[in-house]
Amino acid sequence: MPQDQPATLAAWLRTRSDEQLGALLLARHDVARPAPSDVVSLASRLAVPISVDRALDELDAATLQVLDAVLLSEGDGVARAELAALLPDVPAEVVQRGVQTLTERALLWGDDELRAPEPVRRSVRHPAGLGRRAVDLRVQLPRDLPGTLAELSAEERDVLQRLAGDRPVGHLPDGPATSGSPARRLLQLGLLARIDAVNVELPREVGLALRGDRPLGSPRVRPEPELRRRPQADVDRQAAGAAMEVIGRVGELLVLLEDEPAGLLRSGGMAVRDQKRLARELHVPESDATFLAELAFAAGLLDVGGAHRDEWLPTRAYDLWREQDLPTRWATLVWGWLTSVRLPSLVGQRTVAGKAVNALSPDIVRQTAPAVRRSALAALAETPPGSGLTPDDLLTVLRWRTPRRADRLAPVPAVLAEADRLGISVGGVLAGAGRLLLTDGEDGAADGVRELLPEPLDHVLAQPDLSLVAPGPLVAELATTLAVVADVESSGGATVYRVSDASVRRALDRGWSATDLHEFFARASRTPVPQALDYLVDDVARQHGRLRVGSIECYVRSDDHGLLSQVLGDRRTAPAELRRLAPGVLVSGLQADEVLSVLRSSGYAPAGESSGGAVLTRPPAKPRAAGRRPGSSAPPTAPRPMAPGDVTATVREIRAGDAALAARRTDPVRQIPGVTTASTLELLSRAVADGLPVWLGYVDAAGSGSQRVVRPSSLVGGFLQGFDEGRGENRTFAVHRITSVALVTEATG
Amino acid sequence: MVTDGPLIVQSDKTLLLEVDHPLAKECRSAIAPFAELERSPEHVHTYRVTPLALWNARAAGHDAEQVVDALVRFSRYPVPHALLVDVADTMDRYGRLTLANNPVHGLVLTTTDRAVLEEVVRSKRVAPMLGARIDADSIVVHPSERGRLKQALLKVGWPAEDLAGYVDGQAHPIELDQSGWQLRDYQQQAVDGFWAGGSGVVVLPCGAGKTLVGAAAMAEAKATTLILVTNTVSGRQWKRELIARTSLTEEEIGEYSGERKEIRPVTIATYQVITTRRKGEYRHLDLFDAQDWGLIVYDEVHLLPAPIFRLTADLQSRRRLGLTATLVREDGREDDVFSLIGPKRYDAPWRDIEAQGHIAPAECIEVRVSMDDEERMTYAVAEPEDRYKIAATSASKMPVIKRILERHPDEHSLVIGAYLDQLDALGVALDAPVIQGSTPNKERERLFQAFRTGEIRTLVVSKVANFSIDLPEAAVAVQVSGTFGSRQEEAQRLGRVLRPKADGRQAHFYSVVARDTLDSEYSAHRQRFLAEQGYAYTIIDAADLAGPGEVNGPDWVDEPAD
Repeated sequence: MPQDQPATLAAWLRTRSDEQLGALLLARHDVARPAPSDVVSLASRLAVPISVDRALDELDAATLQVLDAVLLSEGDGVARAELAALLPDVPAEVVQRGVQTLTERALLWGDDELRAPEPVRRSVRHPAGLGRRAVDLRVQLPRDLPGTLAELSAEERDVLQRLAGDRPVGHLPDGPATSGSPARRLLQLGLLARIDAVNVELPREVGLALRGDRPLGSPRVRPEPELRRRPQADVDRQAAGAAMEVIGRVGELLVLLEDEPAGLLRSGGMAVRDQKRLARELHVPESDATFLAELAFAAGLLDVGGAHRDEWLPTRAYDLWREQDLPTRWATLVWGWLTSVRLPSLVGQRTVAGKAVNALSPDIVRQTAPAVRRSALAALAETPPGSGLTPDDLLTVLRWRTPRRADRLAPVPAVLAEADRLGISVGGVLAGAGRLLLTDGEDGAADGVRELLPEPLDHVLAQPDLSLVAPGPLVAELATTLAVVADVESSGGATVYRVSDASVRRALDRGWSATDLHEFFARASRTPVPQALDYLVDDVARQHGRLRVGSIECYVRSDDHGLLSQVLGDRRTAPAELRRLAPGVLVSGLQADEVLSVLRSSGYAPAGESSGGAVLTRPPAKPRAAGRRPGSSAPPTAPRPMAPGDVTATVREIRAGDAALAARRTDPVRQIPGVTTASTLELLSRAVADGLPVWLGYVDAAGSGSQRVVRPSSLVGGFLQGFDEGRGENRTFAVHRITSVALVTEATG
Repeated sequence: MVTDGPLIVQSDKTLLLEVDHPLAKECRSAIAPFAELERSPEHVHTYRVTPLALWNARAAGHDAEQVVDALVRFSRYPVPHALLVDVADTMDRYGRLTLANNPVHGLVLTTTDRAVLEEVVRSKRVAPMLGARIDADSIVVHPSERGRLKQALLKVGWPAEDLAGYVDGQAHPIELDQSGWQLRDYQQQAVDGFWAGGSGVVVLPCGAGKTLVGAAAMAEAKATTLILVTNTVSGRQWKRELIARTSLTEEEIGEYSGERKEIRPVTIATYQVITTRRKGEYRHLDLFDAQDWGLIVYDEVHLLPAPIFRLTADLQSRRRLGLTATLVREDGREDDVFSLIGPKRYDAPWRDIEAQGHIAPAECIEVRVSMDDEERMTYAVAEPEDRYKIAATSASKMPVIKRILERHPDEHSLVIGAYLDQLDALGVALDAPVIQGSTPNKERERLFQAFRTGEIRTLVVSKVANFSIDLPEAAVAVQVSGTFGSRQEEAQRLGRVLRPKADGRQAHFYSVVARDTLDSEYSAHRQRFLAEQGYAYTIIDAADLAGPGEVNGPDWVDEPAD
């Protein structure tokens, strides 16, 4: 090993410039907070499997192929110069860019010779889609591999070819174990390895033999699917149509829930019965009703509330929302959707337990949802304006971009459909407002549709069939009033209201007079108020209030009218606030026991009556849920980005810590039990890779310390396996019990 | 980007058209082919886009692009993409399957889309009607299943285009005799539209001359014709009209009704006689085979009874012309009309024809009558099923009806009611003859004739007058009771007084309604219907009509609402 090259990741990191360290912290921000104390602790954080996985997950297929080339090469590392030769079909700049990305993220290290840290090796299960080595799989390969392969039958070769593709692991076909399926014959030949009861893996050697001169498979260059083109102006208009539609629909849904809240299920969702009711009343399929409810929830307009917190109700935010102009309302909805951790498309599907998932249920929370949405839309946004991708092409692009997250891409078609429905895109082509939503957030979205959505109107057209047509969205005040005096019959670009005797009665009940109504219609309608409408108002008003209903707390009754008159006239009974309702009946707004005590103290002898006749009513108040504060509705999709100042400060901190560490550093690397430092692991893994013996300080389970020389064979899952030379047997050591470690031969110097 | 178009597209696929907009007329003609006019009140008309309407448009040769373009071009607000896609998808379903005559195999169902054929072949509803598979794209159909197959295909959502053609039928010379009159433009367009399409329905409002469209279609076909009408009286009217307007003579036209069973080159049969059954069998089915008919005309298609649909299914190789004022059927069998008689071939808006002066303008007035206390008490305690009759036949209506007739002393008036004892009482009180179900046809003819000539100024009629009686001089109709809730009945009764008047006078349509009863509840439906048809609708109190001090004037003063 050349001495001028750093021997460990930590040592290599130490040689990096401040800018490079800063770039590392930016790219893998999860290791930057809290600031690592020194390079060693930075290296140890970089080695945490979750951090490595996350970093790898963000890489595209081309970069991963470069990594695969390093991982697959024999020996410890690959010289930079040789890398291009390993990837003959890949353009040089792609390789260059890949190496740059990987070293920047410390997923590869070394200046002349590129090495992969052990956690990276572990995280990439099947580099280049190849299986493990035959030795690791404990299979005995046939002596003459090419010869054996050449003799295989077509279907056997088929099986191997399939496993030599992207995934070396496959299922055994169902059926009796004795049957001579190709897979089973291959197992007998030693060309496949069994890894558990049902799965087999193709040994790396076989895979490489099958691939021939392309051990890394075909080049993974960026796919360039054909773009779908539509005039941007058309897209914007159609998207705006969808936007109007969705704003209107959400509003209608919330009005319905305001009038009759949906019950909260014990499991947290909304009952199917309520879902059906909403769908029926909105005249939409149930899936649409679900989507609208989820959308309202995501935007913070709908939440659990009510006296016992057992109902789905519009929130206070809804009251604000409906006062806002259309663009702002739309922006609230789409931003809520974009950042929501819920996947509405899962509603109605079965859970693992076999239960259908309800709308608004917590079962559809997927923390990855915002990232999936954003990455899908971002991929669309990379196409020039007026063009987009079909769902299939988009999936291809996304699969290339984050191949390790391909399993998360299942919701993408649903996400696209939802984006269409929301007016963010039209058939895979982003609307202008949709692009602004991605770049400038909520405000951008609002600005994007401002020109496209109509200004609210302040008038309606009254017609002789007693319908009122609002030829566009209405100002909030007029809409509120109309909701009282008329019923909505059809909605969309316009709203058709119908005045009926029931709706007029409702208005009269709310304290409107016939004159108020006449004036309102005359003011609100741009067309002359039809005679039939005026007649209807008068006709209903004529009958209104012939029956009177009031509420009292208690009554006093007697067959002796004289006695009642006496009670009423008695000055001492004044605190009872009695009044005569009818001959023989006095009523009071006070509680029965209060009235009783007043009458008793005034010298009468009243008796209480069971409360059969009293009606208790309370004036209705519109119920509201407390709701979340806008903005806090969804957890942040990404940690706060690192400001340049943060980065330099952190780098400075690391350097300072490192200098301090260097001053007291001794070999062998010591550690406090229980704190595994990266350098320990680094050293151990090198020892494993090179088959070097190491000197271990070890504390056993009983707490007694010992020192031994071990020739390690593997380092997996926190355990070091190796041949204990002192005891002459294979032993397993828990890494967290290793107190110190040093290479026996040379590194101790 | 918000344009100022006249059209607003709603989520439920209704279209609102602002009538006063300068582009309204242009827009109307653009959307009429694929949207059914649902309501046409004064300011904003409502059209509905249904799958049937879209398929009608396809059948008439319009494509999805035109439809989408019309929606986008005239829409005031952006149209959601999803709606446009849905429209295009729906239209695309028509014509994937075609029925055609194959020189070798006879009637064959062919497809341009194999997947669709596979789907319908597997449909339980369709499969039994299909015969042997000829190749991947075509399949033999027995000619007798032509109608039922079309019906079934429509039900599974893949309407077939029928290109199998028609038999010419037995030729018979028929000419229009256009002396002293001429086919109106829209009538000619209707005939052309029908003839080009082969079979189908022509939608024209009452009084717009549907009979003439039928006559012109016959002159085009020049073949023996079977005309199906709702009742005998209207059948005679057809006969009279045909004799007057065509080269046909009395001898060439037969009447096939309960009274007479004549089969002539042109035969007019009533729905009733055809659907008469004895011992569970239709006795007059032979009529359809009695002649090699070249044309079958269905009058008032929207009333066509279900058994006739079944019979019509067997007549698919003959040209069929449906005539109606509305495609809306209260039994919801619009789809059967579409698949068995044919797509809509022509549709003229009621109001436009009125504006052209072919229908009399009408004023609808609802007169509210308060029942006296005794009647109110009777009404209040009555069984629910008796209530309507009590309210409708209230004696308090009688003076009001008289008063209305007095307002129009010089007009021909019809008083229309549903209850026989009330009709009789009216006949006595108004000193007018009564026509009801039991009145012999001869007597009816005589009275109608007397009414036409002006001998009788007032007729009291039961619901026999609902359909197809041509009384062009009737200018005032007073409706006192009816089987309310039926939109057709309203349209028909109104139609009675809408025949164009010689001097263009206004027609008056009164409904006398008892206040605060079921009667007025029903009247709300009527009001809505008539207002939706675009008629001016006014509600007045009987007291206002009579003027205080006259005809029980003081009694009509409302009690103050306390």
